[in-house]
Amino acid sequence: MFISGITDTGALPVLEKTVQFAARRHELIAHNIANLSTPNFQPRDVSVTGFQAALAEAVDRRRARAAGRGPLDFPGTREVRPTAQGLRLRPMSPSHNVLFHDRNNRDLERTMQDMVENLTAFRAASDLLKNRMDLLNAAIRERP
Amino acid sequence: MIDPIGMLGPNRAAGLTPRTDVAAPAGPGQTEGQGPVSFKDLLMKNLGEVNELQKDATSAIEDLQTGRRNDVESVLIATAKADTAFRMLLAVRNKMMDAYEEIKQIRV
Amino acid sequence: MYGVLDISVSGMVAQRVRMDTIAANLANRDTILDAEGNPNPFRRRSVIFTPGDPDATSDRARQLGVHVSAIEEDQGDFRKVWDPDSPYARPVGTPDAGYVYFPNVDSVTENINAVDAVRAYEANVAAAEATKSMLAQALRLIA
Repeated sequence: MFISGITDTGALPVLEKTVQFAARRHELIAHNIANLSTPNFQPRDVSVTGFQAALAEAVDRRRARAAGRGPLDFPGTREVRPTAQGLRLRPMSPSHNVLFHDRNNRDLERTMQDMVENLTAFRAASDLLKNRMDLLNAAIRERP
Repeated sequence: MIDPIGMLGPNRAAGLTPRTDVAAPAGPGQTEGQGPVSFKDLLMKNLGEVNELQKDATSAIEDLQTGRRNDVESVLIATAKADTAFRMLLAVRNKMMDAYEEIKQIRV
Repeated sequence: MYGVLDISVSGMVAQRVRMDTIAANLANRDTILDAEGNPNPFRRRSVIFTPGDPDATSDRARQLGVHVSAIEEDQGDFRKVWDPDSPYARPVGTPDAGYVYFPNVDSVTENINAVDAVRAYEANVAAAEATKSMLAQALRLIA
């Protein structure tokens, strides 16, 4: 019906996927930070460029199919799988730092950078999502 | 002569006779030599502009999220512009509806 | 909602246990007798970290995070100090006769470990703050 026309308009599907991805990745980064001193633990991350590339392909398909309308079919990547509850991450990208004597190749500075950048991406996407939803609500309520 | 609601027509029986001794002032969007621009055309043109702004904002947001562009501030500006344009259009539309309701109440 | 901070807090708890162990090591650097008064030098203790957190509230959180699985004693050699006149010296006929055994605690190592533990603790605190900020941000979507 027309309800999915409202919930899938414009940039809403892309923003939704980004918000879900950033939230799951934050858990992963927090896990790496918690295990900074754990011996035999190698921190792993998911590839952000891989996720963005897959998202870009889905966006292009959507633009070609229905001029930017309709749902976004995001098949996921090797590391990011869409499920009914959102996205599931399977981290496969290892850290490239030297292996320390406790066989842990942590890189504290890069991990903190990843965390801050991920947080900023989450904020930007969720603010934009709120903005788009507010616009829809304004149109529905007929109150600018 | 500007004729927003089309009451002046070739059918004189509608009861309105246009004055011919006064030249019509140039309306907005009207240049020398062109015919009068109706409010309806103006509205449709602005609708198109707002739609273009919204489409620009949508593709800017999508490009930002997929990593094709990195300038967050331009995307935010494009979104804000599209926002304001849409709300302005909505306000104009509301005023027009109010005016129409008011006119409907006029007892002839 | 409950348990979103489990991962970072498990990291903080683990680092704090590590700090406690380091503090105990430093405090007992010269403890050569046990509770009964026999020469039994304090052995340095170290923590063993393992990924996962059995104390977490949800199944998913139990796989993430970290916990201290054991506190084991360092079986390395004791520090030897030559003092044959001390009542606690090793008796004649035993290996290292005339030496007094002192705990195998090295201040420099413990201090460096302490600095590392503090750094890791702060990193976990930053991660917890970021989690809280993300939740607050997500709530603003509908507020």
